[in-house]
Amino acid sequence: MADSLQGTLDLLILKTLQLGPNHGFGITLHIQTASQGLLTVEEGSLYPALHRLDRDKLVKAEWKTTDNRRRARVYTLTAAGRKRLEEAEDSWTSLAKGVGRLLRYV
Amino acid sequence: MKNWFRRRNRATEIHEEVESHLAMRADLNRAAGMSPDDAATGARRQFGNAAIIEEDVRNVRGLPWLESLAQDARYALRGFRRSPVFTVTAVLTIALGIGASTAVFSLVDRLLFRSLPYPQADRLVSVGIAAPSVDKSEFVFADAYVNLRKHQTPFSDITTFGFISDCDLSEQNAVRMRCAMVESTFLPTFRLQPALGRNFTHAEDQPNAAKVGLLSYAFWKSRFGGDPAIVGRSISVDGQPTNIVGVLPPDFELFNLSPIDLLIPEAINEARPGNGRLFRAFARLRDGVSIQQARASLQPLFEQDRRNVPPQFRNELRLVVRPLRDRQIGDLRLASWTLFAAVLVVLLIASANVANLMLARSASRRREWTIRAAIGAGRWRLARQVLTESLLLASLGAAAGCGLAWLLLRFFVAAAPHGIMRLDQASLDGRVLLFAIALSLASGVLFGFAPAMDTPAAGSMAAGRTVVSTRGLLRHVLIAAQISASLVLLTGASLLVRSLWNLEKVPLGIDTQQTVAAQFVIGRGYDERAFFERLETALHGLPGNPTFAISDNIPPYGGSRARPFFVLNVEGRPPYPEGAGGMVGWRYVTPGYFAALGIPIVRGRAFTEEERDALEMPIILSRNLARRLFPDGDALGKHILSTDAGVWHTVIGVSGDVINNGLDHQPQPEYYELRKHFVDATYNNRQPGVGWRAATVIVRSPLSPETVSRTLRAMIASLDPSIPVTMQTLEERAGTLTVGPRFDALLLGGFAAVGLLLAAIGIYGVIAFLVGQRTREVGVRMALGATPMAVTSMFLRHAAGWTLAGVAAGLAGSLVVTRLLATLLFQVNARDPWSLAVAPVVLLTVALAAAWLPARRAARIDPVRTLREE
Repeated sequence: MADSLQGTLDLLILKTLQLGPNHGFGITLHIQTASQGLLTVEEGSLYPALHRLDRDKLVKAEWKTTDNRRRARVYTLTAAGRKRLEEAEDSWTSLAKGVGRLLRYV
Repeated sequence: MKNWFRRRNRATEIHEEVESHLAMRADLNRAAGMSPDDAATGARRQFGNAAIIEEDVRNVRGLPWLESLAQDARYALRGFRRSPVFTVTAVLTIALGIGASTAVFSLVDRLLFRSLPYPQADRLVSVGIAAPSVDKSEFVFADAYVNLRKHQTPFSDITTFGFISDCDLSEQNAVRMRCAMVESTFLPTFRLQPALGRNFTHAEDQPNAAKVGLLSYAFWKSRFGGDPAIVGRSISVDGQPTNIVGVLPPDFELFNLSPIDLLIPEAINEARPGNGRLFRAFARLRDGVSIQQARASLQPLFEQDRRNVPPQFRNELRLVVRPLRDRQIGDLRLASWTLFAAVLVVLLIASANVANLMLARSASRRREWTIRAAIGAGRWRLARQVLTESLLLASLGAAAGCGLAWLLLRFFVAAAPHGIMRLDQASLDGRVLLFAIALSLASGVLFGFAPAMDTPAAGSMAAGRTVVSTRGLLRHVLIAAQISASLVLLTGASLLVRSLWNLEKVPLGIDTQQTVAAQFVIGRGYDERAFFERLETALHGLPGNPTFAISDNIPPYGGSRARPFFVLNVEGRPPYPEGAGGMVGWRYVTPGYFAALGIPIVRGRAFTEEERDALEMPIILSRNLARRLFPDGDALGKHILSTDAGVWHTVIGVSGDVINNGLDHQPQPEYYELRKHFVDATYNNRQPGVGWRAATVIVRSPLSPETVSRTLRAMIASLDPSIPVTMQTLEERAGTLTVGPRFDALLLGGFAAVGLLLAAIGIYGVIAFLVGQRTREVGVRMALGATPMAVTSMFLRHAAGWTLAGVAAGLAGSLVVTRLLATLLFQVNARDPWSLAVAPVVLLTVALAAAWLPARRAARIDPVRTLREE
């Protein structure tokens, strides 16, 4: 339970990367836009999380030049990351469902 | 190193990633219409503390504890540089403790800890009967052994070792070798394999079998150039062809560590073993059989053998089954443990000293700690800082200590002549260095523990002012512990010194000054009598008109020839019952013997030259033998000891008693017979073994011993250059008796002195620290009228209190510990009141003197200045 809440940020990152390789800044922007401003990711949490995922081989990072000719560290989902994403999505869905039922139960 | 570079790169990379993030955010901001400056600032503001985030990210990747450890270490080193006096004192103290412990460990390691070089050596035992009057170590008689071998059950293997004797490789370039006689089962029992060839067989180990032998690896290399074709070749040993069947492994080692060149069969005559030959027996316990069980199961066999022994010997006989290691190190075990324990105590005292130094230092770092605690350092982090510092000190100390150990080891080797504790094999090898590292870690934790517990908890900012609190108690307990430990050392050392003193005072019965002794064994090929005649003639040509003599052996150790007392029948009395009276020593000497050794003739006269050609058989008795044979009469002129032909010896003199078997034995009853110029009954009464080939020439001369030794050596060499001669002054020879005790006393005394010095430094440090802490209080007291005397005595009383507490604990400890030393002591009670009294007095004096120096400084405090400073 606590695990799945803590894993939320990982889930958001992995889900974002499912759309394609992206850099840290891009990931913040995407989460903000896709959640229509409901979710904001702090950089202070994002980068440690990204590096943890990199360390655990769920994503892979390489330096690339962006369309705006900026050098950026671009993260790509790995096979292990894809698998982890599936698990995280499932567990999140059941968690959300559970919490939803609990809230509706009066 | 590679890792370090990666970490460096990683840090840059993380930094670049953050910078790239900020740049992209700034781009976005600019696109929204901000000025470039505002865009950049805005990006930074939104990002938050980049440095902290970078560190967080780094911690994800790296080993944060390693990083902070390096940080602790850097910080500690900076601190050490700032207080060099503290650092140098601490490092030197640790170096002293670790250096001494490491040096002693390298001495005793081989004796106490290193395993013997035989597979499953813990199953090997030495078996035999102990008869103190015959031999120091257990042995078996041949007939008893043959019986034992047939009937024993507790051992899977049993074997014997005969003795080592000189033998000659009688080929071109003849050399004297050391031949060891063993049973064919010797190597298999020890589970050793020849490096080359094979072991000799049971059939080759028979009295009339063709001679065979195994060469030692070293001798094979040096004499035969390591030629593998030696196996199967025949060499000439003492003139007899001996077939070499194998070569021993390079690391072959006898149980008594004696070097040998050739292993030959002992060839026990199993049909007729009862010829009184002695052996050392060794056995391998069967699986699951304990030493106690083995002893119990051999007891019936032993009782059976005991019945064959003369009754007066029976009670002193004991069955011995003991581990091989015990047999090997014998008396050295206790001495080794004593030294090792003593040096560990020194290390403890040193650690306590460093702990105290660190406590004092941490008191003065109180402010620093509280500030660090206030800005967020956890208690654990601060404690870790202290432990890092103590471990760092310990490693610095250990490095210096290894250097010191090396020096000390050289000193030990110089202080103890060859033969003590196998010093030649003590070295600073990997095992010893590992021990030093373990010690430094242990001591680092040990002396870092107290100060680490002493770090403030967060939020104790209020304690900004330094206050003496419970830490004072800890410091004093440490001091009391040091005092008690040094007291135990001091008591032990003074007991050993007293014992040494007693040993040195034992009258040897001989005069050792200006006398030189040359010992040698002549080869088998000689007519012994003719050789000694030639030698005597030559000795007459010695310069300086010296007194000289030839004997088979000399005091004060090494024993003499011995015969049973009952053979000394007296004319006109019924013979003594067979087996009565133990053994009596005897020597075969030329007339100058008593004058050359300075043995007084208390009644009658010494032998004369004329008697050497006469048929009469004169005899001289030692005083205690004369008293025993003739309790209430004059021995002079009496006839005793008839030869097989019925000729009596006439007592012509009584000599002083002489120590023959070391200082801890009473003078043995002894008689002297004269070396004649012709073959007489005594000459023919040779015993098995070396016969008369072993001899000692004694020369008492007014010339310097060096000159005498040189001429004497040249003289013997002119008769036969191949005879190895051992040359000693009698002073040296007597000195070797106390070498072991002197070495023990020297070392333990040295450790006690070091312990005392460290304890004194500890007390000095603590009182000096207290004086510093209480300057203000003393100022107030003096302002209120306390005299300097009162102030000094206040601190002295304080020191005396804790010292006395330490002395009390130390005395209790000494009573326990010194009892363990009892067998190392000679004519000193382990509870010797003199030693038990002296040690505390010395300690108290030194402790008070050490406390007095800083206490006096307290008395000089100027109240006005102190109060103004506040």
